[in-house]
Amino acid sequence: MAAITNRHLFVLLARLALAGVFVTAALPKIEDPVAFAHSVDAFRVIDAGLSNWIALCLPWLELVRGIGILVPAIRRASGGLIGLLLLLFITLHLSAWARGLDISCGCFGSETGHASADYRWLILRNLLLLGAVILVLKQDRRNNIKDSCS
Amino acid sequence: MARFFREILFIAALTLLGVAFSLFSGLAPLPWEGSALAAGEIRPADARALQVIWIDVRSEADYHNQHIPAAIYLDDDHWETGIIELMDAWLTQPRPIVVYCGSEHCGTSKRIAEHLREALPDAEIYSLKGGWDAWLR
Repeated sequence: MAAITNRHLFVLLARLALAGVFVTAALPKIEDPVAFAHSVDAFRVIDAGLSNWIALCLPWLELVRGIGILVPAIRRASGGLIGLLLLLFITLHLSAWARGLDISCGCFGSETGHASADYRWLILRNLLLLGAVILVLKQDRRNNIKDSCS
Repeated sequence: MARFFREILFIAALTLLGVAFSLFSGLAPLPWEGSALAAGEIRPADARALQVIWIDVRSEADYHNQHIPAAIYLDDDHWETGIIELMDAWLTQPRPIVVYCGSEHCGTSKRIAEHLREALPDAEIYSLKGGWDAWLR
């Protein structure tokens, strides 16, 4: 019983951490989509027109997923989408690192002007978040199996 | 599985509502409204990626208070000393030169950039879009 309680507590902390990170990341970008569009542009992966739309849509998706990971009705899909996006972010950072781009990440809106990306830290941070997502999704799966058995 | 897709649809609907809010509420300038560059301008993100020589043309007090690392101070009163320092940096390692003033609305950076283009016709010279304010954001 104690082990189950500990696991639940751990999963709850992981959910809260994910919610905190994604809501904190979304709000400044919603407030300043122009600066975020420049950050997206700096990765030089897509053209300016598409990066403008991404700068407009992605922060809202982050906000909905950040809150959604705490809401039972949508937490499974929120977790899945967070996981997919973290994989995408890791790929983008690896790609920018490999191309030697000296950019600010833009992860939490426009960071202070001279903040260049520390790719090792960015990738490690996203891997840690991905670990939290996997933990949460595993627990949700366990809960679903339990529900369908009872 | 059907439940999972219902959740995805619900998330997509909420996201679209948020995007519609951003589009129609006027909460913040839209990305395409702020993205147009005038001739000779460069965005902070692009300038950062290019490792440029920075020229600060704000007031001397603002420069001493805070400036972009390694920026060279230049104004009409310090033109000679500033231009010598700039030439030294540019001849040592030729790079694009970016001039910045205080904000989106100041015109000093464009004026000084014009002077510099006459003084250094071989150099690639820009003014920073949004100025110091954009750098800080």
